[in-house]
Amino acid sequence: MRRTAPLPALLVVAVIAAALPAASQVIPDDLGRPFPLPPATPERIVSMAPNITEILFALGLGGRIVGVTRFCDWPPEAKAIPKIGGLVDANVEIVRSLDPDLVIAFRGNPLRLVERVRKLGLPVFVLDIGEGLETLGPLIERIGRVTRSESRAAGLVSAMRTRLAAVDTAMRGARSRPKVFVLLYGQGLWTCGGESYVDDLIARAGGANAAAAMPKKWVLYKRERIIKDDPDVVFILARSPGDFAFGRDRLARMPGMERVAAVRTGRVYELDENAASRFGPRLIEVLERAASLLHPELFGGRT
Amino acid sequence: MSRGTGRTLFWAVSLFLCLAGFLISLLTGPVRTTAGDLARLFQEPDPVLWAVIVDLRLSRAVLAFLVGGALALSGAILQGYFRNPMADPFVVGVSSGASLGAVVATALGFEAAAVGFSGPGLLAFFSGLSIVSLVYALSLRRGGFKVETLLLTGIAAGALASALTSFFLFMRSDSYEQAVFWLLGSFQIAEWSQVATIAPWFLVCLLASVWLARDMDLLALGDETAQALGSPVRRVRKAFLAMSALLAALAVAVSGIIGFVGLVVPHWVRILIGPGHRPLFLASALAGGTFLLYCDLLARNLLPAELPIGVITAAVGAPFFLYLLHKKR
Repeated sequence: MRRTAPLPALLVVAVIAAALPAASQVIPDDLGRPFPLPPATPERIVSMAPNITEILFALGLGGRIVGVTRFCDWPPEAKAIPKIGGLVDANVEIVRSLDPDLVIAFRGNPLRLVERVRKLGLPVFVLDIGEGLETLGPLIERIGRVTRSESRAAGLVSAMRTRLAAVDTAMRGARSRPKVFVLLYGQGLWTCGGESYVDDLIARAGGANAAAAMPKKWVLYKRERIIKDDPDVVFILARSPGDFAFGRDRLARMPGMERVAAVRTGRVYELDENAASRFGPRLIEVLERAASLLHPELFGGRT
Repeated sequence: MSRGTGRTLFWAVSLFLCLAGFLISLLTGPVRTTAGDLARLFQEPDPVLWAVIVDLRLSRAVLAFLVGGALALSGAILQGYFRNPMADPFVVGVSSGASLGAVVATALGFEAAAVGFSGPGLLAFFSGLSIVSLVYALSLRRGGFKVETLLLTGIAAGALASALTSFFLFMRSDSYEQAVFWLLGSFQIAEWSQVATIAPWFLVCLLASVWLARDMDLLALGDETAQALGSPVRRVRKAFLAMSALLAALAVAVSGIIGFVGLVVPHWVRILIGPGHRPLFLASALAGGTFLLYCDLLARNLLPAELPIGVITAAVGAPFFLYLLHKKR
């Protein structure tokens, strides 16, 4: 008798498993916490970061977003959505009052704040930033899964991969690897270290990030290091052409900088800060622009 | 006005302000709510309204009140202990010491809970206690304290602890928000479990300090006189020192460093109701709680984004501290 017991038990389990709809599927979020997938696309989504907002719009879910941060300004329609506060100071009370059926948080939102929202009983899905552009695909796919927009996500990701592959293919013909210094517009010489996705972006665009050896995401660089590195190209992440011109002139005026190759040859270019500083789909555009600026010869002078 | 009516008036006004503070806290916030909503809360429970008013605003108000009470009581104890009206958990360095402990515990991943205390809370207590003991030992001169030595030692020890706290925070790259929390204080993420952590300890300390208040009165006459009058001076001192550190650590563990509450409040209260420590301890706790409740109201409503509450209490407290220094001359 005892020996036969497992079989019916297994059958029961199998029947239950088969009878349960996809709704009972549970996937872990990037904090490793189990998150039960909703049965259908959520109707009221709160996005706690600009790149999440952007991805949701790209998945055609813009109309279902009920709350965004005050930094969520892309696409322009996002500006009309009610604000929950900033990245680190999102207001829990406002989030709760929006009565969301899905809250998507991102690294950069303080963990304690995210926890506070979760303890109110709201379904919070937390995503982490990746180190390279290839992690953008899984990020979008995961957002696709929790919003039950898997096929749209798959479409978006495959279009993105095609463009990534096109850049990769073009780069095979590259004979040089210019050294690049990325300057974040603002006070001080902030740049992107080896752990940043921008480092990966520069490498894919056929360049070598000057600060690649820095084991950090963001690094405050020293002027003398730039002079010693002697980068061939400088990219300035700027919010507007005015900011770019200002940043370029400030850099050029720094003592000793006139000897740097990029300044000497005028290879100081603007990259759109709004797109480049967010781990979202527009990074592909930034990549394509960076690649064509670093290797105009491979892109038929399309700069 | 006699002392008796003065006291009655003090209690009446404090209680009124306290209740009004709670009511205003429940009704103000980015989500619009009216007094009618408050009444409807129990008749037709709406989950969103309940979460906003009870889970978020009420827990936050209660926590601010308890932390304010704990800080003011800690200050009242330290002022009696050091026989000095300028002592306060922030000035003496206990708060900074406690925050260092909490941050170190967090950095080392020492999060386990014991006796209702989280790892950070426990370490906050021990490092707060070490700082206050150190300051005590360094500023003790032949059985008495020199005010200047006490304050300077406390400020130096506090600055060192703050520097170490910043060091631990900035070792981790994404810690800006954490740094603001630990160094300037906030009730942004207040919740009921935090209330449950600190409320019992706060009550124990309040009752114990009221119980030992007479001995504190005797300490004011000098340790030898107090001993001669039958007070177990050494034990009383130990108990009060531990309580002041515990209260400050409780406050810091849930809300970061909030300065000057323990300085300003007991001082006002002493002027209003006199130096007897039993009413002073009780009244400081009530007034401190009420004071911080209003400070938090300002912190969360003054600007669209939240201000760290330590900014508000310092804006009120630091000028007051300067005024006291000036008056002492």
